[in-house]
Amino acid sequence: MPKTIMVVDDSAAVRQVVGLALRGAGYEVLEGRDGQDALKLLDGRKVHLIISDVNMPNMDGISFVKEVKQRQGYRFTPVIMLTTESQEEKKRAGQEAGAKAWVVKPFSPPQLLHAVERLVLP
Amino acid sequence: MQALPLVATPRGHWIFHAVLGLAGAASTLGAAGTSAFALAAAAALIAAGLGFSLACRRAQHEAQRRLLEYVEGQARFGDRLAPVWSGQIDASRTQMETAISALAERFSGIVEKLDDTARVSSEATQTLQGTGRGLGAVFARSEQELDGVVRTLHAAMHSKAEVLAKVRELGAFIQELQDMADGVAKIASQTNLVAINAAIEAAHAGDSGKGFAVVAQEVRKLSALSGETGRRIAEKVASISEAIGDVGRAAEASAQDEHRSTAASEEVIRQVLADFRDVTGAMAESAQLLNQGSAGIKSEITEAMVQLQFQDRVGQVMSHVVQNIDRLPDVLARTRQRFEREGLLQPADPGELLAELERAYAMAEERALHHGRQPAHAQPQATEITFF
Repeated sequence: MPKTIMVVDDSAAVRQVVGLALRGAGYEVLEGRDGQDALKLLDGRKVHLIISDVNMPNMDGISFVKEVKQRQGYRFTPVIMLTTESQEEKKRAGQEAGAKAWVVKPFSPPQLLHAVERLVLP
Repeated sequence: MQALPLVATPRGHWIFHAVLGLAGAASTLGAAGTSAFALAAAAALIAAGLGFSLACRRAQHEAQRRLLEYVEGQARFGDRLAPVWSGQIDASRTQMETAISALAERFSGIVEKLDDTARVSSEATQTLQGTGRGLGAVFARSEQELDGVVRTLHAAMHSKAEVLAKVRELGAFIQELQDMADGVAKIASQTNLVAINAAIEAAHAGDSGKGFAVVAQEVRKLSALSGETGRRIAEKVASISEAIGDVGRAAEASAQDEHRSTAASEEVIRQVLADFRDVTGAMAESAQLLNQGSAGIKSEITEAMVQLQFQDRVGQVMSHVVQNIDRLPDVLARTRQRFEREGLLQPADPGELLAELERAYAMAEERALHHGRQPAHAQPQATEITFF
């Protein structure tokens, strides 16, 4: 049974690129367009890891992670922030929200997969 | 930014001219008394002062009107131009995002199709563990079954060789039987001689040998019978020997035929298997080439898709610029409002919009460019990852 990873990004191209890398490695991928869309998609579904952008319309990535961490069943779901933001202040906000890693775009698929394999739930 | 009090000076001018006219009139009256000339001169000075101040006031109104027009024109400039600029940039950003997204989807589809093709090809040419499907498995099974056929043919040949050996052994027994028949003939011949001698001796004995002569006669008859039986045995043995020889030769000829046909069958089977192996080998090689090609194309596409991430970065820069452009009409409108309210003309301050733009930045390159530095282009090969 393949593990499921949720990818949240307002850029369809980024979702495609991340999805391609993850599917190639044998993961199932759920795609959300922003924080709100992703919260609707979760709906109690088993997710082994979340990869989220930071700057998104409707609900940004930091707020989304905070909301996810409060939901039952997702407290221990690891989150990787995948963003163009590289400021320490933003990284701290992500860490405080509950993210486990911060990856700056543009990314190389092997390195993203390395982070995924290190954090994904068994 | 220092506001310029452009309206204060004209207002001072027209009051100053009116006061100057009145002061001239008063001093004329004071100096010349209230003569008709003095009164006319004072009236003329007052009229000149008032006329001049009126002209100044008109000029001030005109200047104010022109300034207001200028400020309103600037506001209109922002109102009209900013939405066009931001609309164009936004439309380009949307078009770029749609096109790049479609391109990424196509690439994704190509990779999936390549994966499917490579998987089907592998299934066709290699043995899938536990399934027994695939060309490799079919070849292995065929080889095993045909080996079984060859072994069966060899076993049949071996059985026939054993039969032939037994037939040859029978030939050896025939010789023994022949010798025994010869032995019987010799015994019969010896017995006949003994009976002849006995008959001679019985004749010499006269009457007392008559009985013995009868016995000798009977022994001669038995001897003749034995000799006849021995000869018939020898004939039968010769017939059997000939028949066994025929059977042996026929069996040998048949064994040789079967050996040749078995060898021929074995050669045909080996050739078929060799051809089959060549075909499967070529197919496996072709599948391997397909897999290698597919992996190469996938790698290229993945690299291309990584480069497509520029859309996200460019899209963000464009969004930040559009947000900033959208704020320009507000800034120009505030300049106009301040002029209308306070009569002060203050140039629009770029600092406010620049500060807002800087706060919106997400990327180090944007910040570097903002401060006039050359941005270091981010490389996906060296992804920045921080684990918490």
